[in-house]
Amino acid sequence: MKKFIGKRAIASAISLVGLVILVFFLSRLTGDPTDLYLPIDATQEMRDKFRELHGLNDPLIVQFGRYVWDLLHFDFGESIRQARPAMDVVLEGFRWTLTLAVVTMTLVTVAAIVIGSLAAFKVGGVFDRITSFFSLIGASAPDFWIAIVGIVIFAVQLRWLPTSGTGTIWHWILPISVLFIRPFGLILQVVRGSMITALSSAYVKTAKAKGVPPRPIIFVHGLRNAMLPVITVIGDQAAGILNGAVVVETIFGFPGIGKLMIDAILQRDFAVILAAIMVSAVAIFIMNLLIDLAYAMLDPRIRY
Amino acid sequence: MKTTLIGALLASTIAAGAAYAQDKTDVTIVLSEELELIDPCMSSQSNIGRVLLGNISETLTVYEPATATLKPLLAESWEETQPGTWRFKLRQGVKFSDGTDFKAQDVIHSLERTISDKMTCEVGGKYFGGFKINATKVDDNTVDITTDPAQPILPLLMSSLTIVPEETPLEMVQQPIGTGPYAMTERNIGTNIVLTQRADYWGDKPKVTKATYVFRDDSAVRAAMVEVGEADIAPVISELDATNPDTDFSYPNSETTYLRVDHATAPLNDRRVREAMNLAIDRDAFIGTLVGKDSAKATAVVPPTTLGYNKDLTPYPFDLERAKALLAEAKADGVPVDQEILIVGRLGMFPNISEILEAMSQMLNDAGFNTKLEMKEVADYNTYYNRPFAEGRGPQLVAAQHDNAKGDPVFSMYFKYGTEGLQSGLVYPELDAKISKATEASGDDRAALWSDVMKDIHENIIGDVEMFHMVGFSRVNPRLDFTPTISTNSELRLSEIGFK
Repeated sequence: MKKFIGKRAIASAISLVGLVILVFFLSRLTGDPTDLYLPIDATQEMRDKFRELHGLNDPLIVQFGRYVWDLLHFDFGESIRQARPAMDVVLEGFRWTLTLAVVTMTLVTVAAIVIGSLAAFKVGGVFDRITSFFSLIGASAPDFWIAIVGIVIFAVQLRWLPTSGTGTIWHWILPISVLFIRPFGLILQVVRGSMITALSSAYVKTAKAKGVPPRPIIFVHGLRNAMLPVITVIGDQAAGILNGAVVVETIFGFPGIGKLMIDAILQRDFAVILAAIMVSAVAIFIMNLLIDLAYAMLDPRIRY
Repeated sequence: MKTTLIGALLASTIAAGAAYAQDKTDVTIVLSEELELIDPCMSSQSNIGRVLLGNISETLTVYEPATATLKPLLAESWEETQPGTWRFKLRQGVKFSDGTDFKAQDVIHSLERTISDKMTCEVGGKYFGGFKINATKVDDNTVDITTDPAQPILPLLMSSLTIVPEETPLEMVQQPIGTGPYAMTERNIGTNIVLTQRADYWGDKPKVTKATYVFRDDSAVRAAMVEVGEADIAPVISELDATNPDTDFSYPNSETTYLRVDHATAPLNDRRVREAMNLAIDRDAFIGTLVGKDSAKATAVVPPTTLGYNKDLTPYPFDLERAKALLAEAKADGVPVDQEILIVGRLGMFPNISEILEAMSQMLNDAGFNTKLEMKEVADYNTYYNRPFAEGRGPQLVAAQHDNAKGDPVFSMYFKYGTEGLQSGLVYPELDAKISKATEASGDDRAALWSDVMKDIHENIIGDVEMFHMVGFSRVNPRLDFTPTISTNSELRLSEIGFK
């Protein structure tokens, strides 16, 4: 196991280095950030000063060499926009995104597995049809529309919840609900499909013939074997949220990493773009590792 | 288990209530974006200015657009002691929020810091570029400021220079210190900024005791926050969300829109062609549809409250037949009026810009022009907007929006119309001479000279395709006694807010 984790870490580190090189040069190809930071009436002298101050006058390869040298000293550069260390800026945002991702994906996973499994037990039944109908709507509804409609109904009309912000537990309900809907619809469909296959297999029929009650059949015999494809989809959806729930962050005023990254790209805040990509990449590496470990736990045939 | 759950729910309900509850004299202001920087020398940026100007940071003088007057603030008086040198007598008994006394050395340091090449201060770039300036101490309460060439409007420029203590480092600060009635007591990055009233402020005590600034990108959310009482003021909302006449205000926001014409290329170098363009635009069709109903047709690039604004000028009427006739006349004289003219716009520059420019392009084409619209991102757009312009370029119209809330045309005219102006498409030495003369003049002469410059640009040269003096929209909680004004575009002084 240790050997496996070590190999995966080395492979991920190599990918990360490649990603950093690629993003460093590609982001700089988008142009000079000077015009974006200075007032439109700034003199040429001011523009020259700005470029010099931020090392933008140097050849690209010199800028890259300086970046790598700083990186080796755990200096991730400074945000031009915020005049603070880029990694501080990113980690502050990531804290919010991680909380949002963990809470949302926990709720999604539990709800989708329970409801999807029950729906699969009686294929074509009323419960199955209702859940399929709503999960398909959920999987296809646009986030921004749900968010705005949610605010209008629950905050403005009913006044049950705050419109936005992060102050209390109530502030989290609308953003999490909006983030919940799409992955819930998608994962529920995968659970249902996977469970239908599992429940029609010979060992389940044998269990039924032996008189095992429905609950153990679904959640012990069927679910464990149906979980492998479900875990893959859960990982994929969680990675999406870890990379930033831009719409939710923007509308609800959540200071997460997604909006930070978009703003950094638009403003050519290069140090923040690179720091954000590194943090996201490490988070996704850890998540993929956990998924691999989950595979091994669920399927004894998989050994690392 | 059940008891624990009910307890937790109750606790969080109380917490939710606490989030809404605030003292009667506290206000919450929802801004359109997080403040990335909070250094006083960046306060010419709208949202930074709304938090800092007049609240945390103060200036030597203060300009009131409503009355077009310059008033004393940290300077009690000023006079020009010799050409190019102004002496400012400073207010005594003023303390910074860190407890130190305000003195001449702070003014000198603030100026040096703002124009320092060790940092990039927006106030420096916007108001103190293009001339030499230095400050010297006469005594603790008197400072001389000298400019080269002489700046007759130096006292007005001082309304932009935010004063910081002498100890402020030459790098962007995260904890702004000023002499204003409030101090920043809390900053939760990404969440909010809290200003609390100072007990040791030198001036009158404002009615607002505490202000919390929160940030929401979406205009509908900002408007909803004021509607449900989560916020008291949303200084900027879109026109689409300004639906409640009891709480929503429109105000002239000191922005003027226009198409910058490149006078160096044919057919735009022909006056008849430029007149035809102005006559081909049905400006009335936009007002109340794509631009706010309180917007006004522009005859100059500065708002009507600006010194020397020429009120005798009239906007070009919509006269398609006359436009066609002028174009035919120019064509008969060999002007290549059929040549494709590129209209360049910047995405998101002002509300509905794409739709407005598409309609304008069609109106011009209806008159016989051959225009093509291209919308650009900021950096790409700037290559069209700023000099040096590309060699061998074709004829171009660049859609632009200009903000002049400072009350003097000097902040606009050279940049926009001087032969060497960074964003100028004009090359007229006679106009350059007039701009220089007006820049150096003072008093009534100055107003008259600027008035003449505006007439020249509008009637004689026909510098631009002028569009509109724009309006902004705000939503204000009915419990407040506050009406947004032209200043709300760049500042929001808490001292101007009262309670009903």
